[in-house]
Amino acid sequence: MSRRSGTILAAAALALGLAGAARAETVRVTAAYYSDKTGPYFEQMAKEFHAANPGIDIKIEVVNWDNLLQKLQTDISGGTNSDISIIGTRWLLDFVKDGQAEPLDGYMDSAFKGRFIGAFLAPGQIGGKTYGLPIAASARAMYYNKDLLAKAGISAPPATWEELAADAAKLKAQGIAAFGLQGKAIETDVYWYYALWTYGGDVVKDGKAAFASDAGVKALTMYKSLIDKGYTEDGPTNYTREDLQNLFKQGRVAMMITAPFLINQIEKEAPKLNYGIAPVPKETRNATYAVTDSVVLFKNSKVKKAAWKFLDFLFTKDPRVAFTKGEGFLPTTKAEAADPYFAQNARLQTFVNLLPNAHFAPTVTGWEDTAKAVSDAVQSVYLGKDQPAPALKHAAELADQALGK
Amino acid sequence: MRRALLPWLLVLPSLTLALAVILYPFWEIVRLSASDVSRFGQVRGFAGVGNFARVLADPIFLAALLRTLEWTAAVVGGTVLISTGVALVLVQDFWGRGIARTLVLLPWSISLSMAAIVWLWAFDGDHGMVNATLSQLGLLGRNVQWMARADTAFPIEIGVGILVSIPFTTTILLGGLTSIPGDIYEAASIDGATRAQAFRHLTLPLLRSFINIAVVLNVIYVFNSFPIIWVMTKGGPDNSTHILVTYLYELAFYLGRPGPAAAVSLVMLAIVFGFTVLYVRMQRERSA
Amino acid sequence: MTAGRMLRRSLLCWLALSPLLVLVIFPFAVMLSTGLKPIDEVLAWPPRWLPSHIAWRNFTDMWVAADFGTAAANSLLISVLATALAIAVAVPAAYAMARLELRGRGLYRNFLLVTQMLSPILLVLGLFRMAAAIPFGDGTLVDTRTGVVIIYGAFNIAFAVWMLASYFATIPRDLEEAAWLDGCTRAGAVLRIFMPLALPAISVTAIVTFVAAWNEFTVALTMLRDPSKLTLTLRVVNLVAGRYSVQWNQVMLATLLATLPVAVIFALLQRYLVQGLTLGAVK
Repeated sequence: MSRRSGTILAAAALALGLAGAARAETVRVTAAYYSDKTGPYFEQMAKEFHAANPGIDIKIEVVNWDNLLQKLQTDISGGTNSDISIIGTRWLLDFVKDGQAEPLDGYMDSAFKGRFIGAFLAPGQIGGKTYGLPIAASARAMYYNKDLLAKAGISAPPATWEELAADAAKLKAQGIAAFGLQGKAIETDVYWYYALWTYGGDVVKDGKAAFASDAGVKALTMYKSLIDKGYTEDGPTNYTREDLQNLFKQGRVAMMITAPFLINQIEKEAPKLNYGIAPVPKETRNATYAVTDSVVLFKNSKVKKAAWKFLDFLFTKDPRVAFTKGEGFLPTTKAEAADPYFAQNARLQTFVNLLPNAHFAPTVTGWEDTAKAVSDAVQSVYLGKDQPAPALKHAAELADQALGK
Repeated sequence: MRRALLPWLLVLPSLTLALAVILYPFWEIVRLSASDVSRFGQVRGFAGVGNFARVLADPIFLAALLRTLEWTAAVVGGTVLISTGVALVLVQDFWGRGIARTLVLLPWSISLSMAAIVWLWAFDGDHGMVNATLSQLGLLGRNVQWMARADTAFPIEIGVGILVSIPFTTTILLGGLTSIPGDIYEAASIDGATRAQAFRHLTLPLLRSFINIAVVLNVIYVFNSFPIIWVMTKGGPDNSTHILVTYLYELAFYLGRPGPAAAVSLVMLAIVFGFTVLYVRMQRERSA
Repeated sequence: MTAGRMLRRSLLCWLALSPLLVLVIFPFAVMLSTGLKPIDEVLAWPPRWLPSHIAWRNFTDMWVAADFGTAAANSLLISVLATALAIAVAVPAAYAMARLELRGRGLYRNFLLVTQMLSPILLVLGLFRMAAAIPFGDGTLVDTRTGVVIIYGAFNIAFAVWMLASYFATIPRDLEEAAWLDGCTRAGAVLRIFMPLALPAISVTAIVTFVAAWNEFTVALTMLRDPSKLTLTLRVVNLVAGRYSVQWNQVMLATLLATLPVAVIFALLQRYLVQGLTLGAVK
């Protein structure tokens, strides 16, 4: 259809009163798949929102994490992207640099900003502007199987890596895999950062790779010694985080580090499991990884106002509580944190208490390359193909080529 | 006039459709390969051969290139070899031949991604039926984490690659064998040829054109085959199972660099194209 | 031949095939075994082939989780139409290549082969941008089954033309020529004499195309987004890719059920498939 005939048609439609109030605006939302509750949750929200705002239709598409970035990339390059999308906050800078994400400050008043827990809002801000709102947040802590520990005569979870190794020796004597170590797929690097941070190291400092430090070498050497002594599951490079979680649910590994959403999974799939949650073991300091997923509004959206209205609704108390509870995340707004479900949940509070020591993924370009370089390096060490120091040094060189570019 | 036009009129619809759907995306790839492109496909500037230079200097690319050759040679070689044997058996007249043929065709019915998922699950270190079956048979003392290292993972991927390629290849070869008239064997046996001789001097030459087709088509498909390795190991651990397609995918969609990815794509096209031209020419000379 | 010799030969043949057949059947056994187990048995060690009881609820759970009915209908629709499209354009082209004086025949044949050489992985980026630029209905070709049908059709042309042309070349000309003498027009001869003879090859080409379309993943993933339009392969793979927890029993059951129709087609048409490819490959 040529532009002119389009205009004529539009004019005709206007004259007939088809346009305007009677025509509903459609806001398209791309949501990441967190669990089988994600789709129904967003459909429910769309319905509730539509009931209150009959002029706005919400259309939800749920996409798996594995395909999300690919889909957004193709969509944006074809100009057919949705109006709102959930993204990994680590991707945000790329969206901002390319001018794809709409700065949200113009839509927010201070009351709206005040809804959020500050630490979680910060990662979505770049250059003093807010581009992403924290829709999901998690921190990491160590899950431990109380029965398995008791079997090896251990009464409390290890607080330091040294204690962990000692406990692991006792567990190994009982034929139990002590420490679940992730060595495959996404977040292989993160699983090692846990140790790196507790040894006082950093991943990136002043825009340069900092992980190949003394602390880094020590942390990686420690992990490798756990593997060599048989304190981990067999063949860590075959285990994704989900694989480890499965082992933990079946009581086949005594300890592992992961996010709060495992609580919900255990409740559903292994309700009898006797487990506890403790901070990540430390060396010189306590540390955890905190991560948020952001929801962004695309600059090319034609229904920004309506889209914002939906966002505003999503970040009110009840929708937030329903989401965070269903998916097993941490509250990102103050109102939901005050909800008794979270305030009185001892397990979740363990995670919340770790937040002051939390490290967020820095918003720098080249973060994906860094993650890949580090994952490759630690895998090569786990496999015994390389030594910690040279492997990390090589990864740092690769990361420096990509960081800040 | 009409005689010259009619054939092209008949070809036109297919030509138009194929051109329309392939030419534009191909042109896009060429354009991207010479541009500095953002993650989201925005062209920031002209890159000349920069993308190619960058890719060719990447040790992971070079390793993946060698591994791709290994992968293609192993899968295609294994497939053609096994399929020839299988076809020679299936052409015999024996009880249950129809069932046997159907069974051999069976892997064709699973999509590659699904087949890879099923095998990944079967080789799972903790719940997989491969470990379970092998240890029940007393062949395995403890569970093996097959996908943990390239030494075990890559051969398994090659094996799956062969298994899924066998049905198509066997069908082509079986077709070839059935088309060989039976009387030439009778003539040969009258001349006192042994079965081995008959195979070498009669069957194999007649089968050659079919084997050639199988080789060319399989090379093209296997060289570009993505799901098996991506689903099973994602090219890891430590890039040790990357072939060019998985490397390309990671580059384009994980690391957000469509430009260099497009360059890889073209390098790959050049390789397959070069191979096909060379192979066809070689075979032509041989048969001439 | 005596029954004894036949028996011996049959045993030998089956014995020779047995290693391969074990590998062929193994994944299906895994699908069946895992697909029928309750989840706690799926994750138990050591896993057993037989479930303690058949978990019928896997069917309903999977049916809902994968929206199996809708997805199967989409797959069927898309595959049938794509096959029809590919055949419709390939038959005349193959006829021209096999029967008429087509100048540039070699060129066309090579062009078709080259279209098969491009890795579809990156091609989808361009395909998507193209689809996004073509107006269709209220929007563009993106997120339409029509778009997917056109792309599948186009990608299968090469194989279809190649195969049909070499098959057509083996159909004796004299039958048609005899019909011309009887006063039949050329088109009439093609319709009445040639087409019935070409039917086996067309069916085989159609099967191969259908299966390729039924199993395709990358293009469908890129083009389709409305949940009511997704194909079966897409749905099944989505049950696994990038999920925080995978219900393996549902995945295996879904894979099995998605494979079954194609497997049945192969079983029924196995004989024609071999014959079809027989003649098709001669050239």
